[in-house]
Amino acid sequence: MPADFSGSWERDYSRGEDVQGALNTLFRQRSQQVQRQQQYPSSPHMGSAQRGISAREGNALLALARLVEEITRPDVLQISQDEFEIRVARKDDFAMSCSFFEGVAQGTNSPYGTEVCSWDGNSLVSYLVLPDGLQISHRFTMSRDGAYLRVITTATSGATRTPFTLHRYYIKFEAPASAFNCIETLSMKRVCSTGEIKP
Amino acid sequence: MKRLAVIAAALLCLAPQIVLAQLNVSIAVFDPGVPEDNALHRDLQVFPKIREIESMFLPFVLRQTLVDSGDWGAVRVVPQADTASELLITGTIVHSDGETLAVELRAVDARGHEWTNQTYTTQSDFNDLYAGFIDDLRTARDGFDDRTLRNIVGTSLMRYSAELAPDAFDGYIEMQPDGTVKLLRLPAEGDPMLARIQRIRSVEYVMTDAIDQKFRELHQEVDSVYEIWRKYRRWYTNFKAEEAQRNEFSKTNADSGTYEAIKQSYDNYRMDRLAAQEQDKWAVGFNNEMEPIIEKMEERIAEMNGWVEDGYVEWARILEELFEIESGLD
Repeated sequence: MPADFSGSWERDYSRGEDVQGALNTLFRQRSQQVQRQQQYPSSPHMGSAQRGISAREGNALLALARLVEEITRPDVLQISQDEFEIRVARKDDFAMSCSFFEGVAQGTNSPYGTEVCSWDGNSLVSYLVLPDGLQISHRFTMSRDGAYLRVITTATSGATRTPFTLHRYYIKFEAPASAFNCIETLSMKRVCSTGEIKP
Repeated sequence: MKRLAVIAAALLCLAPQIVLAQLNVSIAVFDPGVPEDNALHRDLQVFPKIREIESMFLPFVLRQTLVDSGDWGAVRVVPQADTASELLITGTIVHSDGETLAVELRAVDARGHEWTNQTYTTQSDFNDLYAGFIDDLRTARDGFDDRTLRNIVGTSLMRYSAELAPDAFDGYIEMQPDGTVKLLRLPAEGDPMLARIQRIRSVEYVMTDAIDQKFRELHQEVDSVYEIWRKYRRWYTNFKAEEAQRNEFSKTNADSGTYEAIKQSYDNYRMDRLAAQEQDKWAVGFNNEMEPIIEKMEERIAEMNGWVEDGYVEWARILEELFEIESGLD
């Protein structure tokens, strides 16, 4: 695998964006684009699509922002990785999982959506495709020294062409070692011991 | 009539006594039915390690059912299929999700004749699954007369003998083009080579019974935990069905792209994944609990198999030497 993300990561509140900030930036950029289009109507980079944000689109963007805010709320990511799977465990949400069989990424299909993943250079990208054109992607990129993890979450829906994107940063930390060794069992649930515990 | 019976009895005495009681049955550990393509496991809901446990556990349940029926001789679970068995049962797990269990079962006698080969399915307990199979076995057996049953027992003995001492016993059986085995004749009563073979087979049976005992112990250890696993799997299957129904009924009327609409889309997927991941956790718990037991059992079986195999080589060598001495060959 091109990069090893395994470990515990906690949110770095000193970096990254908050949702309100990201929305403000988005609306500001769109309004600047509209202004430029009005000033230079013949510019080849600006088509007729570059209009102001309608009320419907504005609501759709707010909805996406709210959803992304919820999805990216967990403060801690626990990432486990081996040669076959990368698993990003998040509190109160399902673990994002990316499996590789003979080097080929394996998606997850369910009646409710499809999750696929891939490597883009050293970045891991996970796409979730849901009904009604809702798509959520997460791009995980680690700093060269392995101390920071940047997660760019982008959501789009059928109601707006404009995606909503949020950058979050995480710092690697060493989770304190537990005084107990635990394993999951079926009949006794979680079994812990202060000594060595074999599966 | 009486005279005929006397002649028949006299003729039978020429052959070594094959006491026809009930056929002995060997049940080989099942094929777990795990697809080679790992990518299919998730879609097919196959948990390879649990299938491996089921492949050792389910034959023992069948063994018990056959023993309880009282229709058969010694019924043993064996690690590998032995074609010299009087009646050999092999199986492949086709489907197992706690709710539905489907196993393809095949029974072949020592002559290579197939008694039954089909997939048996149950949605309740295992006895239901095996009841149909056992009925089929009984029907097949009842269709044979005593002579045929004796032939099966004799063929079994000669196949075993020919494996151990081919020079001495190859001439007693003949492989047919269709893969079946024909019993040509039997050694005379009191044949010293056959007496040795029978003694060796008795020793091997003792070892096979010891291995069978290991499967019994596994069954005792696995039974309660396996039942919990099945209960969870049933819960998961029901949950999926109910979830699909609930989502169908609670479809939001919110406009596409609104928070309510996209939140419901995400939550449906989230709940589905959480349930699937919970199930994965149970599978890990099951494996964690069973692994030490399975490992210990496999070690012990390998050790016992090793003894049998080592003994086999040695017995074959000794028998070969004795045959050369007794038959006057150089």
